[in-house]
Amino acid sequence: MPTSTPIIEADHLSKQFWVADRKEGRFAGLRSVASRAGHWKGGVSDISFSIQPGEVVGYIGPNGAGKSTTIKMLTGILVPTSGRATVAGITPWAHRKELARRIGVVFGQRTQLWWDLPLADSLELIQHMYRVPADRFATNLATARELLDLDPFMQTPVRQLSLGQRMRGDLAASLLHNPPILYLDEPTIGLDLVAKTRIREFLAELNRQEGVTILLTTHDLADIEHLCSRIIVIDDGRILSDGPLATLKERFGTERQLIVDYEDVPASTDLPDAGPAIRVVSQEGPRVRFAFDRHALSATQVLARADTLGTVRDMSIEEPAIEDVIRQLYERKKEK
Amino acid sequence: MDSLRTLRTLGEELVICRRIAALRLRGQMEYRTSFLMQIGGTLLGQSTELAALVILFHRFGSLGGWNVGEVIFLHAVSQIIFSLADTISNGVQTIPVTIREGEFDRLMIRPVSTWLQAMVNDVSLRHLGMLIQGSILMGWALWAVPIDWTAGKVALLLVSIVSGVALFTVIFTIEAIVAFWTVNSIEAVNAFTYGGSDLAQYPFHIFGRGIRFIFLWIVPIGFVVYYPSLTILDKPDPLGLPGIAPLMAPLMAALFCAAVGLLWTIGVRHYRSTGS
Repeated sequence: MPTSTPIIEADHLSKQFWVADRKEGRFAGLRSVASRAGHWKGGVSDISFSIQPGEVVGYIGPNGAGKSTTIKMLTGILVPTSGRATVAGITPWAHRKELARRIGVVFGQRTQLWWDLPLADSLELIQHMYRVPADRFATNLATARELLDLDPFMQTPVRQLSLGQRMRGDLAASLLHNPPILYLDEPTIGLDLVAKTRIREFLAELNRQEGVTILLTTHDLADIEHLCSRIIVIDDGRILSDGPLATLKERFGTERQLIVDYEDVPASTDLPDAGPAIRVVSQEGPRVRFAFDRHALSATQVLARADTLGTVRDMSIEEPAIEDVIRQLYERKKEK
Repeated sequence: MDSLRTLRTLGEELVICRRIAALRLRGQMEYRTSFLMQIGGTLLGQSTELAALVILFHRFGSLGGWNVGEVIFLHAVSQIIFSLADTISNGVQTIPVTIREGEFDRLMIRPVSTWLQAMVNDVSLRHLGMLIQGSILMGWALWAVPIDWTAGKVALLLVSIVSGVALFTVIFTIEAIVAFWTVNSIEAVNAFTYGGSDLAQYPFHIFGRGIRFIFLWIVPIGFVVYYPSLTILDKPDPLGLPGIAPLMAPLMAALFCAAVGLLWTIGVRHYRSTGS
């Protein structure tokens, strides 16, 4: 890890939500404001991490894990219950407007653009909001139009854009003021493969060329494999793991698979002295899939045993997919 | 120095918001027929209220010692104020919906006041029907009541209208602020918006002591319509407040704005967004 000052730092951040009991009847609103009845609901607890300039960090976890809550605290939308954070040298919730000039934000689920205005008008309004000088605006707009191919729909009202077009528009809008930090909340959600690839390539390029620091949440693990040098896994409001993808795979993706094609359909798939470190995943005709613990057995050892079931025609080894790594991570946590 | 910078920032933000508003309005004007019908509708609705007033006077001759022309003057001032406030705070009135749908997030990530953004988020001129009617009423009042106009009185009227518009806009904001805490809407606030503007249309001294206290010292509507009108119509103050009372509109409105502004800041810190 480089030792420069982190650009994003979360220090024991916690956010609990107070859920007031809903009142019915006369003056319901007034009474529920005045009343103290309700309960605390957990958002996130004790989140700490620091991100260096230029890193691309994937922030992943199941629905309701606290991904958005964390991002919203780091953008100044939510005030944490306790803990501290510094983003570009600023405490987000205390200096929301100053922070806004240094960050770009894209929420995949909802647009930051004006629903009923043409994309071109939205971008122009954003130019004025961030007081982007005219010449820099022109340069940035030209770049965005080219890289994100905005020209076909610059004059279309945002509500008429396809999801992929809208996302490209949102990305362009979030970068007009050259923010050194970009937060992306589910940037590829609902997009088709072509659109996803286009967005990923754009983000990778942005990080490489401009050194923009990116923190992104996603359910699409391909986003992570293509973009992120580091992954923070969160579940139930707590950080489960933080590190590079390779480490994550090594630590949690212990299960490799050996795929064996036999000459004939094997009569049985019972391996000699199988033990807990090896099991049969599936059998389709002459093809059998074995899963084994990489720390307990080597691929050769597994192959030697598979050889006893019939004549082996071909074989291949599959490394753990990131989906399995994440699944295992969640399962491990539940066992604790 | 610091306050100077704040003022300059505010000025710049206002310019930005004016741009947004202009773009939004341009979109709205494309549906001209619908726009004209909305204005016509408001106009018609308000006329029935006026008819009731005329019938009332036909029966009783005067109201709390005020003749019909004088009461129509109050009606006119009150309607002009309320219609302007209603028009510019259209976006503010939709803040509870914005908050409930989690759309407030997008205002929070911009380097501009969230309140100003909300205000121009939803611009609508349909309430201007009331302004037209207010102006017609004003014409009628000026014809019916001989007012001894001076430059001071004109200035007083204009300052009071501006203060009144600010005051009512801020009252609309209170309902928005409540939405930071609860999804239930607070209909009680309507007693001060629509109720307050109705109340301001009548000579203030006909109301009971409790109502007068609330609408002078808590929500100072009495200071922006009734007291300036007393001076303009050259009528004595039956409530016996100090002679400066008719000039208090800007001060009272400013104090009220400051108090609600503080509440707004607290409210935004309680914003909880939606989802996880």
